Amino acid sequence: MITTIYIVIAVLLLVAIHVAMARARSVEPPERATEKEFAPRFGQANWLDLSERIFDPSDVRWLRKDLAFPRLANALADARKQLAIRWLRALQASFDALVRTPDFGLGETPGSPSVSSWQMLWLTVRFQFLVSYALLVVRYFGPYHRLIPSFDWVPFPQEAAPRIQSPVYIDNRNVS
Amino acid sequence: MVLLGFATSLGALVLVALLILRGARCRYAKLFPLFYSYLVYLFCSTVTGYVVYWTRPNYHASVYWLSYVLSIVVEFAVLAEISDHIFQPFPAIRSLGRALTIAISLGFGAAYILPTILGSHSMQIALLDFALRASLTKAVILVALFYAARHFGLKLGRNVAGLMLGFSIYIGVNIANFACVEHFGNLYASILWVISPMAYTLCLLVWTGALWEFAPMPRKASIAPTTGQDSADVALELVRFNNALSRFLNK
Repeated sequence: MITTIYIVIAVLLLVAIHVAMARARSVEPPERATEKEFAPRFGQANWLDLSERIFDPSDVRWLRKDLAFPRLANALADARKQLAIRWLRALQASFDALVRTPDFGLGETPGSPSVSSWQMLWLTVRFQFLVSYALLVVRYFGPYHRLIPSFDWVPFPQEAAPRIQSPVYIDNRNVS
Repeated sequence: MVLLGFATSLGALVLVALLILRGARCRYAKLFPLFYSYLVYLFCSTVTGYVVYWTRPNYHASVYWLSYVLSIVVEFAVLAEISDHIFQPFPAIRSLGRALTIAISLGFGAAYILPTILGSHSMQIALLDFALRASLTKAVILVALFYAARHFGLKLGRNVAGLMLGFSIYIGVNIANFACVEHFGNLYASILWVISPMAYTLCLLVWTGALWEFAPMPRKASIAPTTGQDSADVALELVRFNNALSRFLNK
């Protein structure tokens, strides 16, 4: 039995790598419409204001408590949940575009990654983990859930922090 | 059978020598240092094996098994080379390949390979298990690297793709071979000593074809720079993204 499993693994490895090679030679897959539509554009400051609205529970609360329209409040919460998911996905798509940005400088010698390259990898992994977690929480509990931890314990590179003013999102797509 | 094995082994030696000579002549060794170190090791160990075989036949078995066990470990250098090159043009994930290779090697080494060596009663079974499980670990690393490259939509260059393709043929055949030997015993062992060198020769042929000319990793031409594209700018953008997300998570 175990021999069969090993042989299946070996065959699968060969098939998977050969298929992947063949696909890699073909045309790049087109970007998903939702990502292209909602991806943050370079210099678009009001994009962050939009996210403030999406994640702000005050108008849902106002509908439910002050105006006593629980159904409408639920519908609005549902719509906000979808928007929050799309916002997070767009943030992820924009981040992926940044990750795929090549270094046009001399770069580093392969095999000797400096400390900074490991720091950047940590930031990349951290972001991917956080955005996946946020998507999971928003999908199952909604955008106003309080279970999202602060993650304050995750360290930032201190030298970069003072230079940060407001988030700037890159866009590698040909948007008008 | 013996003649076929000898001819295959000699063919593999010629291909290794050809790769080393080409690498030295075109200075590819600087670009792929781990890979060429591995080839040099392979060439030296094979030549030493032949010399011992002709001059001191009594020691040949010991020398052969020692170099065989070492080569199982040294083969990880090829994976390290592949992992370094896949993500090399992308500063944000430049160390991802190396991190994946180290993490999978350590994880599988501690949980999958080491227990079978320590718990084995026979040297022959321990060696066979070690070879099989090390091959499976290498296969997992190859798949993980492929998945990571596909996840980020990266294109593999001709050199790296060839390295991966050749190595996957060798590893795939090895896994099936060692599993069959474990199951069928001596009945299959005689076939193993022919198929394994043939798979390796095929792997070397693919490597020779892929590394004959240097082809830089393809980069996406459509990417527009944000504020210049050195590593520091990318690092700053990464911090900004992390800060933007943390802001919402902290609410």
